[in-house]
Amino acid sequence: MTKAAVEQSVTGYLFSLYGTSVRYVAESPLLVAPVHELLRYFRRDSLEESAALTLYFHAVQERAEIPLTMSSSARQLSFGTGAAVGDRRETGLLYKVIQDEGRWIADFCDVGVLVMDGSQGRADGYLIKPETLHVNVIEYLFHLALTDLFRHRGLYTIHAAALEKHGRGILISGNSGRGKTTSSISLLRSGYRYLSDDHPLIQDAGVHVEVLPFPTKMNVTETTIAFFPELLDVLDPAPHPGSHKRSFHVEDLYPTSGGERCRPAMVLFPHVVDACHSHLERISKRQALELLLPQALLVFDPEVARREFQILVKLARQVDCYRLHFGRDMPDLPNLITPLLEQAR
Amino acid sequence: MSDSLQTIPSTIVSEHVVDCTMLDRIILRLSANVQGASMEGETVLLDLNTGRYYTLNRLGSVIWEHCTGHNTISDIHANLCNRFEVAPERALDDLIALINQLIQEGLIQYETR
Repeated sequence: MTKAAVEQSVTGYLFSLYGTSVRYVAESPLLVAPVHELLRYFRRDSLEESAALTLYFHAVQERAEIPLTMSSSARQLSFGTGAAVGDRRETGLLYKVIQDEGRWIADFCDVGVLVMDGSQGRADGYLIKPETLHVNVIEYLFHLALTDLFRHRGLYTIHAAALEKHGRGILISGNSGRGKTTSSISLLRSGYRYLSDDHPLIQDAGVHVEVLPFPTKMNVTETTIAFFPELLDVLDPAPHPGSHKRSFHVEDLYPTSGGERCRPAMVLFPHVVDACHSHLERISKRQALELLLPQALLVFDPEVARREFQILVKLARQVDCYRLHFGRDMPDLPNLITPLLEQAR
Repeated sequence: MSDSLQTIPSTIVSEHVVDCTMLDRIILRLSANVQGASMEGETVLLDLNTGRYYTLNRLGSVIWEHCTGHNTISDIHANLCNRFEVAPERALDDLIALINQLIQEGLIQYETR
């Protein structure tokens, strides 16, 4: 492909999230749809000023095409699987993370490479043969890059479901399979409003921490569908290839469900138990912080990590925290939660 | 990565780092790369270089609060004996063990004056 042809195929898309403008430049149409779905509520036709953050995603056919250069001071920070990168724990990609003169480079081996420069507000993604990648992987890599750039601007993400009722927020945090989405649907049915299924943003609003909506499609298992059969009316017809979950847009089932940024008053850490009835166990702030840290904090830039740690401490101090032992009475969860949320500070 | 969580009890047995004959001359201070938060008497520490985080129980939290760059180990020991109903020998053993662990983890630094 000639340079002119490449330039013709490059298209920029604009988004605005809570005062932070984002420009996304994708070299391939394959890299566009997953990002549009992820940021569908934040799309803009134009921006009042130049974008604060720019993400360039490039399609390459071979790893050797990635123009990755590193200085002699580059050092590897970590390696492992995707379970430890970001907060999308179902994406188990092999990776290594390298720090190099203010940039950090997340190398996902045969999948691609992300190069992040938070101080410049720029990220480059190089995806190898994107036509072979699942859309969830493309979305995951974009989200990882975006959330790293957000961290430098005081917007942090946390692995949790988030809902709001009467201006009070509730976060439901924990690893995949613990009942976050099932809890959320149970609460949505009783009038709670939707903020996010998996990764709301949090921001220090001065007096307290606020949770900001990051609505995406909800992904549900067959087990959850069995509890809430009305989901069958709105679900995508079949699971995505390679996934056991089906998805739906929340507004298709709960048309007035979109929530507003708010002060979180409660954090739940659910896990499913083999019992008839659910119950809540109050936990200390220290325990809550210990449980929140692995769901949020990703240490690459120490100064950014310091600020993120402080906001998580502030969050843990301002909310009431409970372990939710989630029994088979899942549809009745609001009866357990709502009185406590109304009493919360 | 950030997924490691280590609880440091106050009674661990660890390799000696501090010289126990110089407790009134050894000053302790927090490492610059560590962020701590006191939560209802307990403390959560984050090593900003490694992403590892730790928790300290109430006794450990008091020790941590006194690592200001001004207190000697003997000063901290005296404070513990005043604050907790604990035998001085037991308090000293626990104190030395925790200090050794914190130094080994890079969470505090020490100097001899």
